[in-house]
Amino acid sequence: MTRSGWKGPFVDGYLLKKAEAARASGRNEIIKIWSRRSTILPQFVGLTFGVYNGHKFLPVLVTENMVGHKFGEFSPTRTFTGHQAGDKKVKRG
Amino acid sequence: MPDARILVGAIGAAHGVRGLVKLISFTEDPAAIVRYGELSDAAGARRFRVALVGGGAPAAAAAGAGQRGARLIAGIEGVADRNAAEALAGTELYVDRAQLPRPADPEDYYLADLVGLAAFDTGGRALGRVVAVHDYGAGASLEIAPEQAAAPTSRRGKPRAAAGAMLVPFTRAAVPNVDLASGRITVDPPAEIEVPPEGHAARAGMDAEAAP
Repeated sequence: MTRSGWKGPFVDGYLLKKAEAARASGRNEIIKIWSRRSTILPQFVGLTFGVYNGHKFLPVLVTENMVGHKFGEFSPTRTFTGHQAGDKKVKRG
Repeated sequence: MPDARILVGAIGAAHGVRGLVKLISFTEDPAAIVRYGELSDAAGARRFRVALVGGGAPAAAAAGAGQRGARLIAGIEGVADRNAAEALAGTELYVDRAQLPRPADPEDYYLADLVGLAAFDTGGRALGRVVAVHDYGAGASLEIAPEQAAAPTSRRGKPRAAAGAMLVPFTRAAVPNVDLASGRITVDPPAEIEVPPEGHAARAGMDAEAAP
């Protein structure tokens, strides 16, 4: 077993506790976090996090496909200054 | 509709001597720029019929990484020589919103339709207007800025986040109602729980004790 596999995914402990509390409450809420380094775990699926990008908390709705990635990957720290696609569609989650 | 015309591309430099041009496409599928019918310039005065050359393959010289907008080679009806093609360089191309197909999924919305909608909370209180839609791969979110706040711009004239703007996830729970016909959305802002890094609170307490 590789060392990285043996160590398991990294996640800040306090985040796990808060996510479990939020899931138990069952309310519509955003969990604002600074921990961009934490890995997204299956326990987080369905929750909405506000991930800090140094400027604001961007809403991140966790889905199954995001498990294993880091929170920071979904909250870019730089502004895209090009053109947004004119015919781009978004889906209401 | 908040904006009846949508920017979908721009005409670049002339290509060759037979009136072809480089076409910069801002559509999701670059080749879709020619599927929306006639395109018009910023003023709406000139209309262009555009056809892609070579099946819409990106221009070899400009297909590298870092390009903003895909570059294609295209012919424009009525433009037969290089001088006419050069005269069009820099022209922005717009399409009427009505020419875009209706989204197949009722939960899909064009960004252009969402920007500019008035936002109200569930009690009917005005929250502001949708100034931007963000989508970084983790679900879309709406940026809602208070009505009175003038949209700030950078030195280059690019829009910046307005002061007091709020970000709301574009979900059924947070945005239960989207009424494009009346130009308004209902927002139920989710409660926010802050999770400061561990030790942050303890440090803050120590700082307070140390202060005179």
